Amino acid sequence: MQTMKINHKLLIAGIATILLSACRKEYLEKSDPTKIGTETFYKNKTEADQAVNGVYGILQNIGQGQWLLTEQITDNTAVDLDPGNRGNAPSLETFEFMTVTSGNGSLADMYNRTYNGIYNINVALTKIPEAEMTEEEKAVDIGQLKFLRGYFYFLLAQYYGDVIVITEPLVDPADAYNFQRTPVDTAYALIVQDLTDAVANLPESYPPAEVGRATKGAALTLLGKVYLTRKQYPEAQEALSQVTGLGYSLVPNYADVFDPTKKNGTESIFDIQYQGDNDQGEWSNFIYSFAPRLSGEAVTGWAQAIPGGWNTPSNDIINAYEPGDLRKDVSIGLDFASPATGDTIPYVKKYAHAHTIYNRTNDNWPVLRYSDALLMLAETINEQGGPTGEAYTYINDVRARAGLPALSGLSQSSFRDTLEHERRIELAFENQRWFDLKRMHTPAEVAAILNKFGAKEKAKPTVDRQGVAFSAQDYIFTENEVLYPIPNREIITNSSLTQNPGY
Amino acid sequence: MKTHTSVKLPIYPRLACLWNHKKLTPLLVFSFVLFYANVATAQTQTVTGTVKDENGSGLAGVSIVEKGSARGVTTDGQGKFSIGLQKPSTLVFSYTGYDSQEILASPGSPVDISLKREANALTDVVVVGYGTQRRKDVTGAVSTVDIANVKDIPPTNPSKLLAGQVSGVLVKQPTGEPGRGMEINIRGISSLGAGSSPLWVIDGFPFGDDIGRNINPNDIESISVLKDAVSSAIYGARGSNGVILVTTKHAKTNQHYTSFNAFYGIANVPNDRRVKMMNGPEFAQYKKEVYEEKVRYYDNREPTIDDVPEEYRDPSQYPTTNWYDLILHNNAPSQNYNLTYGNGGERFHSLLSIGYNKEDGALKYTGYDRFSVLANLDGKVNDFITIGLKLNGSYARNQKAPSTEGRDNTVGSALIMDPRKSAYNDDGSLNPYIAGNDIVFGWPNPLLLLRDAHRNDETADLLSNVFVEVNFLKHFKFKSSINTRLSYLTDKWFKPSTIAGVNAPPPRDATLEQSTSYVTNYSADQLLTYTNQFGASRLEVLAGYTAQQETFKQTKGTATKFPNDLTPYLDAGSTKSSSSDENGWTTAAFFGRVNYNFDDRYLLTASFRREGSSRFGEGNKYGDFPAVSAGWRIYNEAFFPKNGFLSDLKFRGSYGITGNNNIGNYTQLSFVDPYDPMTQSATNLDNYILGGQFVSGLVVQNPANVNLKWEKSKTLDVGFDLNAFDNKVSFSADYYNKKTNDMLLPVQIPVISGFTNYTTNVGSVRNSGYEFSLGYNNKFGEVGFHASANFSTNKSKVLEIKGGEDRIIYSNFYGPQNISQVGSPIAMLYGFKSLGIFQNQEEIDKSPTQNGAIPGTFKMFDGDGDGIISYDNKDMVQLGNPTPAYTYGINVGADFKGFDLSVLCTGAGDYKIYRAIEESTMNMDGVFNILQEGKDRWRSPSQPGKGKWPTSNNWQWERESSSVYVYDGTHFWIRNITLGYSFPENKVLKGLRVYGTVDNFYVFKSYPGANPEVNNSSAAADGDQRPGSDDEFYPLPRKFILGLNVTF
Repeated sequence: MQTMKINHKLLIAGIATILLSACRKEYLEKSDPTKIGTETFYKNKTEADQAVNGVYGILQNIGQGQWLLTEQITDNTAVDLDPGNRGNAPSLETFEFMTVTSGNGSLADMYNRTYNGIYNINVALTKIPEAEMTEEEKAVDIGQLKFLRGYFYFLLAQYYGDVIVITEPLVDPADAYNFQRTPVDTAYALIVQDLTDAVANLPESYPPAEVGRATKGAALTLLGKVYLTRKQYPEAQEALSQVTGLGYSLVPNYADVFDPTKKNGTESIFDIQYQGDNDQGEWSNFIYSFAPRLSGEAVTGWAQAIPGGWNTPSNDIINAYEPGDLRKDVSIGLDFASPATGDTIPYVKKYAHAHTIYNRTNDNWPVLRYSDALLMLAETINEQGGPTGEAYTYINDVRARAGLPALSGLSQSSFRDTLEHERRIELAFENQRWFDLKRMHTPAEVAAILNKFGAKEKAKPTVDRQGVAFSAQDYIFTENEVLYPIPNREIITNSSLTQNPGY
Repeated sequence: MKTHTSVKLPIYPRLACLWNHKKLTPLLVFSFVLFYANVATAQTQTVTGTVKDENGSGLAGVSIVEKGSARGVTTDGQGKFSIGLQKPSTLVFSYTGYDSQEILASPGSPVDISLKREANALTDVVVVGYGTQRRKDVTGAVSTVDIANVKDIPPTNPSKLLAGQVSGVLVKQPTGEPGRGMEINIRGISSLGAGSSPLWVIDGFPFGDDIGRNINPNDIESISVLKDAVSSAIYGARGSNGVILVTTKHAKTNQHYTSFNAFYGIANVPNDRRVKMMNGPEFAQYKKEVYEEKVRYYDNREPTIDDVPEEYRDPSQYPTTNWYDLILHNNAPSQNYNLTYGNGGERFHSLLSIGYNKEDGALKYTGYDRFSVLANLDGKVNDFITIGLKLNGSYARNQKAPSTEGRDNTVGSALIMDPRKSAYNDDGSLNPYIAGNDIVFGWPNPLLLLRDAHRNDETADLLSNVFVEVNFLKHFKFKSSINTRLSYLTDKWFKPSTIAGVNAPPPRDATLEQSTSYVTNYSADQLLTYTNQFGASRLEVLAGYTAQQETFKQTKGTATKFPNDLTPYLDAGSTKSSSSDENGWTTAAFFGRVNYNFDDRYLLTASFRREGSSRFGEGNKYGDFPAVSAGWRIYNEAFFPKNGFLSDLKFRGSYGITGNNNIGNYTQLSFVDPYDPMTQSATNLDNYILGGQFVSGLVVQNPANVNLKWEKSKTLDVGFDLNAFDNKVSFSADYYNKKTNDMLLPVQIPVISGFTNYTTNVGSVRNSGYEFSLGYNNKFGEVGFHASANFSTNKSKVLEIKGGEDRIIYSNFYGPQNISQVGSPIAMLYGFKSLGIFQNQEEIDKSPTQNGAIPGTFKMFDGDGDGIISYDNKDMVQLGNPTPAYTYGINVGADFKGFDLSVLCTGAGDYKIYRAIEESTMNMDGVFNILQEGKDRWRSPSQPGKGKWPTSNNWQWERESSSVYVYDGTHFWIRNITLGYSFPENKVLKGLRVYGTVDNFYVFKSYPGANPEVNNSSAAADGDQRPGSDDEFYPLPRKFILGLNVTF
């Protein structure tokens, strides 16, 4: 029994040891080994740059789908309707047929991504001032973030009018329920402030390895566009005039603007950068959305491709080209005949370039181009008392490259109309048309233009619909539709949020 | 009780205080015999005999004690015994799970008796958390599966053994995929965001919310289901969805046997469970009419034959391919072999089991096989130390269909493909692409898909358990055990270039996806128990500490651009990508429990667990989970009449708190990585290109929530158990009311926060219901009869949801939607409500504005009454509850002279199913083949059809979630019928039984789909509560089995 007792003592000691040894505090502290915690990030230049790059990455994703909201909705484009796909196609077609509702998934997607971008900017703007890097390095990163935030809010203000302005990351995500939309002026005040800061902080150019980042020129051009939109013409002229002194020029051949082998040329002010032909996930694939549905190999070069047939150049824009306009053949492909109907189905050619991997194209998306800046400059001059010689110089430079004769002797209003037409052709399928229409016309005029276009499409669609009838609501554009509806999901999650009229 | 108190052997100090006396009696008696056998004197005369069970098989290990003396023996493997008696004496025969019998025996005359199974046979001792309890002492809601009832069910997955056996447990077999487990809910859905599957505990090892495929059901000795708080709170933190305890077989003392089980079977999808689509001529006729109807409506004239494309002008010319039939494997064989060797010595017990199961799927080229071994060893080092080792290993291969659920996958597409096309080329080879023309979709040939693009996975799983148990200071026992699970999984899916896509003919890029994953899971348990008896009081105290951790590691590669289809390995592809992942969790808990029993009349249990989890924020890691229960065995009160029909009556009640942390790892922390938070897709990485070069970009992936804490459920349970008519009848009833608070829920938040949702603790739901179970066991002459039935109800109600609104909607753009809304049951089906079909333009003009409405379109209900049917959820309403209001199970069995017959039925009622596949199979515009019902569509006001199905002239309002596709799911399954015959034993064989079984025999239902238990919302994200969708599934076959059990 003596041994038994000893054993018991040993046992109890052993049990106590086992019980106590396993309850270290760290045992319950686990973090994801595959990721970096947000708290520990943004500590130095490498990390700050990565955070900025991440926002460009969000911009890339926004760039992939923006054509639906800014081009497909306009008179520039129609669709190559897929009568067999009544599944997910109708939700994209609503942009063409002007029947967008608050439940639209693409609309929500854009809205979500834009605010996600703004959130990441807000986080980075809070953290980067604390990072271990030089003040100059901080300035460049902060300048880019503010440029991007200005751009994002500009998109939101254009799409939705009054928006929620948020400039700080929320500590408790539940605080998001407390935010309301504020008059659009609040957003514009922030946009102007951000872009002004960006102008001050950003360099005119970058070393070759960093080309693609937002520059001073990009910030000035966007600032000019914002002022123009706000009809602040002297300020717009002031900003855009500075752009002309930054070394940009029109490239002689219009096609080179879109040629992936000549990316970021002298005419490019700000492009969304993409790269295909590799495994890195940064490719674009616009042509796969835009090419006629049955064109597979003929347009994309890949037999297995099933393109979307979206953003199809409308008869309206095809007929709008002046005779001899060199841009027509660059912008619009008219060489594909449908095997189903035998009809020619036009397609956007600007983004159709050879690529070596299926579905991974090299095409950048132009956001701000020098020709845009020149035409805006002409517009801002014209709006301040009619066309001047300087204004003619800018528009005629753009026309000359297109092989078109110079203009002269126009009234202020004809010059305005001519400019609108010139912008429509020069910047066709570059997501400019919707904002141009909204800027240059009252909502009633926009409705009139689009209803006229719609009536034409209904009478004779650009692409044969193979027996699918139009719905009565198709192509009926009402004035309120110059603003998109706030996505339904936002209204559901925050029921005190107001919706735009008519939705 | 008397037995063990009278046997006081100094070498078994601990056994004397164990409650589990019946199990141990034979052991004690056997030991006693060993001690005193030599003492027997010469004047003793021997009485011999045989003890059998009701089926006539010999019972091994029955204890036989001479009443009033300490003398006793046990039966041998054949049930034979011999005992020395000096005079006629009463012998007491007792055996676990059987009623004791007393017989007056005289020296010299043989005694042959058969023992009757107890009313609560095999459940006399119940496995509960960290121990066992006598059924009579249980004060919580614990149900057990009578393994004898389910032994003949073809055991492809252990979870199937629960079907229909236990009240309060909803077991659904959503698909017939070989080896796939059932969906199990205990007492309803009590969490909106953290899963509702119970915790499986295998031999004391918390395994997770899925038992997996790798446990051999033949190796299972018992299954207990812990339903209320006091039973499951000891597993507190993860017990809120209930706990299922599985114990594997081990050899008992003096049990020596070898048994061999084998069966062979075939499986077929019965004709009445096959979906009926149009055949070739019918489909061509349908297409023809679609053209004609368009002309009638849009051109307002009678069509001529010129309005119909040439290919549809003569529908009768077409042959038919029934694509659905084509992919079904008729007479798919399955086979199962199991060899078990049990050897229970006095000091050492060993059991070895080897199993092989192979099952071909109901879809061609699919199948599953599993090889498993179990070794359960334990023995005494000395009189107070016992050690044990258990190893349970398995290796399984699974050849799966590429993807089965949903319209665009193998089964769904087989329904809607053009039935006029042939599967074969003229040379007899399979045509890879069934081209569509005239807007009919083109699909890959599903048979080729199954043959050439199947997915294979292989799993190796090793569970091990080592323990040491020390008995000390007479009343104490300490057990230390370590459990491990090592699991290895590979998954490989090669799609050769011959595989077409939807509307995409081959050749296409071949693709390969291959992954390898490891899971390691360890738990270490230290358990101290103290048991003692003070007069009429019995006390058991348990205290323990447990820590568990799991790590998951995965490497994954994909490749495309293969030079040929002959080398399906990553190296051969020229475009490759790879990824690796690692994550894990830890938990640690202290727990304790006190069981107090006064005079077998008053029973009290209290338990407490404090558990910490790595999944919660600093300061919130630990949660406390207390529970108490009380029982009153009123039958044992002196005042209770003992001569009535009742043979036992107990009232019981329990209340306690259980928890849930099933939300995935690291949710409380915020991370940066390159993934696009909106899609998490590898094609939307937030990296960038600068200077023509790739640069890395990182974005914040999710918001942090440091306040994240345990989800907690408070459960009240009251009930009673009674036995009547000499224990021939047993009955239990329970009422439960479970309120879950602080639900872990991914909540939708305004995206201005940067994100669309985050996981937080919000809201509460209540589940309540009644549970009844009835058992009956009797013998009429030579006919034995036993029956058991259970019936359960469940009602749920969302009490509170915070975060923006009082509802959560789970939706896709198309297809079924669910809504959880305050004041309503959980996860109601949700969508537009169809009021019928618009008959004419006047009706449309009078009705609320409905975009795209023409005569023949569904007329939708204006939910918000604003005069517009809006194309979002403003007009959607609740369409029905997908959770059954009641479920039941019935087991009936009889035996006669070696024959046995048993029938298992299950049923569920008053619930709705959303038949999502009809959005495609009743897609009227002619891009797909359609169901026979398509003939009953609306054609014109004078030919309105059956009033349910719309015109072919329009597609709008047919694809949104709507009441059109909602059906009642009430059903009654005759699950399983078994007929067996046991041969009388002979010198070689202790037992030989042959049997035939039909599984998934027949279902009575009004639901038009094949399986009313279907539940495949393939788009559902983790944790989402989206039950009740039928998007076409892996078909559920009927199985015919012939089997053999041999014991020697």
